[in-house]
Amino acid sequence: MVGLSFENYERNQFVAANLHTQPKATSTGTTIVGVKFKDGVIIAADTRSTQGPIVANKNCEKLHRIAPKIWCAGAGTAADTEAVTQLISSNLELQSLYTKREPRVVSTLQMLKQHLFKYQGHVGAYLIVAGVDPTGAHLFSIHAHGSTDVGYYLSLGSGSLAAMAVLEAQWKMDMNKEDAITLAADAIEAGIWNDLGSGSNVDVCVMEVGKDAQMLRNYRTPNIREPKEKSYKFPRGTTGVLKTEIIEECIIDTSA
Amino acid sequence: MNGISVDIQHLKKGEVSLGTSIMAVTFKDGVILGADSRTTTGAYIANRVTDKLTRVHDKIWCCRSGSAADTQAVADIVQYYLDLYTTQFGEPSTKTAASIFQTLCYENKDNLSAGIIVAGYDAKNKGEVYSIPLGGSIHKQPYAIAGSGSAFIYGYCDKNFKEDMTKEETVNFVKHSLSQAIKWDGSSGGVIRMVILTSNGVERLIFYPEEYENI
Amino acid sequence: MSENNSSSKLIQHQFNPYTDNGGTILGIAGEDFAVLAGDTRNTVDYSINSRYEPKVFDVGDDILMSANGFAADGTALVKRFKNGLKWYHFDHDGSSTSRGIKKMRLSTAARSIQHLLYGKRFFPYYVHTIIAGLDENGKGAVYSFDPVGSYEREQCRAGGAAASLIMPFLDNQVNFKNQYEPGTNGTIKKKVEYLTIDEVIKLVKDAFTSATERHISVGDGLQILIVTKDGVKEEYHPLKKD
Repeated sequence: MVGLSFENYERNQFVAANLHTQPKATSTGTTIVGVKFKDGVIIAADTRSTQGPIVANKNCEKLHRIAPKIWCAGAGTAADTEAVTQLISSNLELQSLYTKREPRVVSTLQMLKQHLFKYQGHVGAYLIVAGVDPTGAHLFSIHAHGSTDVGYYLSLGSGSLAAMAVLEAQWKMDMNKEDAITLAADAIEAGIWNDLGSGSNVDVCVMEVGKDAQMLRNYRTPNIREPKEKSYKFPRGTTGVLKTEIIEECIIDTSA
Repeated sequence: MNGISVDIQHLKKGEVSLGTSIMAVTFKDGVILGADSRTTTGAYIANRVTDKLTRVHDKIWCCRSGSAADTQAVADIVQYYLDLYTTQFGEPSTKTAASIFQTLCYENKDNLSAGIIVAGYDAKNKGEVYSIPLGGSIHKQPYAIAGSGSAFIYGYCDKNFKEDMTKEETVNFVKHSLSQAIKWDGSSGGVIRMVILTSNGVERLIFYPEEYENI
Repeated sequence: MSENNSSSKLIQHQFNPYTDNGGTILGIAGEDFAVLAGDTRNTVDYSINSRYEPKVFDVGDDILMSANGFAADGTALVKRFKNGLKWYHFDHDGSSTSRGIKKMRLSTAARSIQHLLYGKRFFPYYVHTIIAGLDENGKGAVYSFDPVGSYEREQCRAGGAAASLIMPFLDNQVNFKNQYEPGTNGTIKKKVEYLTIDEVIKLVKDAFTSATERHISVGDGLQILIVTKDGVKEEYHPLKKD
């Protein structure tokens, strides 16, 4: 079967109606940004992922590679951003092999938006798509319902307001690479400090025209944990072994 | 809502909407489309420089209002159909384009919140404007206004529109109308974008707040 | 066509008087001291109201008090208790005895707070309350309350947003739960003994730095109040601000 499976739809409706609990997806309460500069485009993200008020992962990767020079930052439902990105990445590579051409950002955009529109917002992926291709550098955003926006600077996620405040205050046309990276990282930091859904580190990806994309994992690490006051190493034997039993033992011949 | 009248004014939760001011006006040499540039998610302005004037063929464009996702999807499909049509039959008429829009909006009315104005220029029919509001009906008009901001400028437009205006007169008419729509409608704002379709080709204009706010 | 489509359901809008302001608190009693600590971050949803809004108070008579949850209710409850304490002094001004101003016992304070909380049984203070101090024998004591006044004296208690993260750590490190004497094969439990002030403060800091790592509404600053027979001391340590 092609596409998503809906065989548990009825059961899940029943569960939702009769139980008080329903499974909660890991949401990347996130800050992500994209900034265009003179010779290309960069995207950046924080690295916190949450399940409700609990931090699920302190250093997750929200920057996804769609093609070698087309990258995307994801906010919303973590599983959806990951899945939709991999699906489109795969199709784009097949298309690229078939046409013997480098993949384009607009193709990526169109494939993503048509996929997301088809699922009417139920695939909760909010993406900033950026990259360089034979037609130049591009920057777009896509919302879960399938609408897209173009821009020189964009932000998405729960920290997007904090990030946009920095972008609106400091963005200039035709910045150099270094200034653009600083601006993007500052915008992410605004999210990290002021939005509880965002935190930990800053990841950056630089895509410059005519050059390979550079993934700068943990470009900034402003939240290193201080050493603990105490050691919590227990003396061996603190946990009592109540019973030991070997269930089954067999020898496997690995030489064949 | 009862079973007969269906709520078509809905937006899905968290959806990006074009609470908009849009219009298209025929004039002596062709047609002018105009729009504000604000896109909102709730109270937040998701994009303040949106381009709501979308090309579906060289000289057939549309103004989009309602759900951003829905109107983009519809416009993309129409653009695709007109591309096919062109390879088989040559240049489509504005009416053909409007009919495709109408079919899509009518057949899928339960799932769409799209208020679209189609405007185009062709040598035979000159400038034409078709309005396709929420239910998927179609109305050919000398000029059309739509979106949440249009409510404030019905009177102004009715009093000031004249047939066969010059390009300058029409640009002024659109600018003044949208200026008022933006002024009184909270969900419209940003810049005023215009597209002019004539025998001479396509011309794009942009007006910033400092220029249109106090006129 | 279905008559009962979702848009026919009635929806009612109602004013919600409660807000969750996040944050977490922690009280530990030692042999001759007690500590009550809390982070200084105040939040709503994903926003920070303040990075320094103290919520642990020295309410007088060497009693420490904190009411964590809905901050406005917490403030109101502490204010009401302080007022109650003031009246207690007016009523027991020493004129009938020769001992001068009478210090309120911690157990008395606990019972008084129970009445304040239960007094609003059907419109409760949305708080988890903890008080700490010394009992009438000079031993460290911690009392903790549910929102409507049910209370208990304990050796230690965590309250608020990250209570469920900190409490198991405390069970293990203060009451030595799940720890056995090495070499006894889980037959003899590790003997419970009093911890020193220094040890307790280390545990408190580690509890809060850890909660800060994993709970989004905990962070910014840590306030620790310590009561001994010599009175109340306060410490402050910065926490991560992300």
